Formats: sequence, C-alpha cells, structure tokens
Amino acid sequence: MNAKANTARITLIAGVALLFAAVSNGRAQENGPQHASDFTSTEYYEPPHQRQIKSVLSGAEALPQPGGQLIIKQLKLETFDLDGKLEITIMAPECIYDTFKGVANSPGHLQVHTGDGKFRVEGEGFLWRQSDQFLTISNNVRTVVENGATMNTKP
Amino acid sequence: MKRFSLVIIAVLAGLMGHAQTNTPGALPTPRAPTLINSESADFDLNGHQGIYRGHVRVDDPQMKLTCEHLIADMPQAGGRPNHIVAETNVVIDYTDDKGQTNHATGDKAVYVYSEQGGVTNETVTLTGNPQIENAQGTQAGDVIILDLANNKAHFDNPHMIFRQNLNGATTNTNSPVTVVKTTNFPPGTIQNIDKNISNHIDHPPF
Repeated sequence: MNAKANTARITLIAGVALLFAAVSNGRAQENGPQHASDFTSTEYYEPPHQRQIKSVLSGAEALPQPGGQLIIKQLKLETFDLDGKLEITIMAPECIYDTFKGVANSPGHLQVHTGDGKFRVEGEGFLWRQSDQFLTISNNVRTVVENGATMNTKP
Repeated sequence: MKRFSLVIIAVLAGLMGHAQTNTPGALPTPRAPTLINSESADFDLNGHQGIYRGHVRVDDPQMKLTCEHLIADMPQAGGRPNHIVAETNVVIDYTDDKGQTNHATGDKAVYVYSEQGGVTNETVTLTGNPQIENAQGTQAGDVIILDLANNKAHFDNPHMIFRQNLNGATTNTNSPVTVVKTTNFPPGTIQNIDKNISNHIDHPPF
C-alpha cells in the first residue's frame, strides 16, 4: 500500500495518538486518555516535505470510553496535497473510534467533499475499517458532482 | 481518503463520460450537477472499487439511470474508470444527438473504457433481455453494444418492433393514434435479420 493511499489511515492513527497524548495535560500516560475539547491534530509530510501539512484532524470533544473506544464529536478531517491545496474534507457530528480494532463508526451523518467543492457525498451511518481501508455508508447515500469536477490522479 | 474520493469521482465521471464522447470539438457548456442516490455504498480503497447498492439512481443532465447495484472500478494508476457494471433492473433514459428520447432496459449494463495507441474504446454492453424503445419502436437483441467512441449501436440477433399508426405507416411522430403492436406475431416485427445485413445502427442512444 502506498503512502497516499494510506492517508486516511495514517491520519486517523496519528489523530488518535495525538488525542491520547494531548489530553493527558501533563499527567502520566499510565493514567490513560482523558477528556479533550477543541482539539486539533496536524500531520506533516515526511522529509523532505516535513514543513507541508498533510492533514488536520479536529474535533469539539473527545471522550474516552471503556474498551479502548473514543467518542469524537464534531469530527473534521482535512487532507492537503504537497502544494498546500485542500484535497478532501470529511465531517461527522459524532463517531466512535475503536483504537484496538481500528474501526470508526457512527449511526449519524457523514459528509465528504473535495477541496473545490465540486464533489460531495453524504449519508447516514458509516463504518470505516482501517485494516482493509473499507468505508461503508449505510443509508441514504447522496452524491453530487458539479460540472467540471475532475479526478486528481497525481500524487 | 483520497482514493476514496477518486473512486467516487471515477464512478461519476464514467457515467457522465458518454455525454462528452459524441461531441468532439464541442466547447464545454455548463451542466447541471450529476446526482447519485442509493440506499448504501461501499468504497474499497485497496481494490479501487466503489459499490452502490439498493435503488441506485443516477440523475445526469443527459441521462437517467436506475438499477439495484452499481460497481465501478478504476485503474491502479488512477484516471477515469475503466469498468462500470450496473445490474438488476437496469433502466437508462436518455436523449440522443437528434433530440430523440430513448428508453433502454436490461438486466445488466457494462461500461468499458480503454485507450490504446491513441485509440479510444468506449462501450456500454446491455444484456439480459436488452431493448431500446423510442418513437420508432423497440429495438431488441440478445446483446446490445453501444459503441460510444464511434457513435454506433450493435445488436446481436436483432429484432425490432415498429410503432405503426392506424394507416399502417411507420411513424416517428407523436401521432395520437400510434399503436404499439404487442400481439404474438405483430406485422411490424422483424426477427433474425439476415446476417448479411449490417447490424450496426448509426446514432446510438449515447
């Protein structure tokens, strides 16, 4: 699997890792993840582009749950290309991320759109499996492609 | 997530691609958005595949497609989709380059796109009791291949049912007295056209 294809997975992992680190607020890590609010996790490209932002994961709230689960509210994930151009924005009012299974899911809304806004997909209920990079939108999938939407096929 | 978006866009681009094929040299004009609705959808980022399931409906300015299951594959290297399969109760309504409305149905429609040596091959193959209905009548065959790149349609084992007015003349108008022959042996039916007769028909639906 190439690095570009793994953007979402890496970002989720990085984001969750950051959450676990950031919410500690100086406490020892053995205390486990704590509640966090208005958090932002920024991931950078690998050298030599280490100054370029690859993705920004933000949320209004992160609530650790038993069993390694994390409830993230007002999730927003943005990915950028090497030129700093916004590629994709993913938003969900709330989702549960299982840090052990590497699965994110929610019965709620999911919205995805490209940086230029010409492509949009949304639906109700989703499941994201990191292991095989498989996304399921369960209900009422609605996709809109504006005139002139293009496929950005170059990394 | 980038691949995820590419897969979805690929689906849409492929579905819309036909509309652009028959207008070489034409300046792009603003179009209304293309919408795809379905009950659910899966996006396999490793397999470069997008799958729409349940009451799939594609609304494009130049055609409408409904089916129960739609799968789109895209090349590993990216680019436009090279394979789209629409299955189960496939219905395609479109307006051809003459402004005539057409209603195509079948159990399955397969879109294939390839480029080799500067030559573009782009086809839609309808199978499973495929037929195309328009003002002239119904064109059917065992297999209907719409050659989008060359603006032709090919019918395997073609048979046609013409619409006739009460005077017996074939009509291509909106005559209020148009009758569709649906008896067991309608006089307007032609079946198993001699193999020597070209099965190619110009001005395909797409």
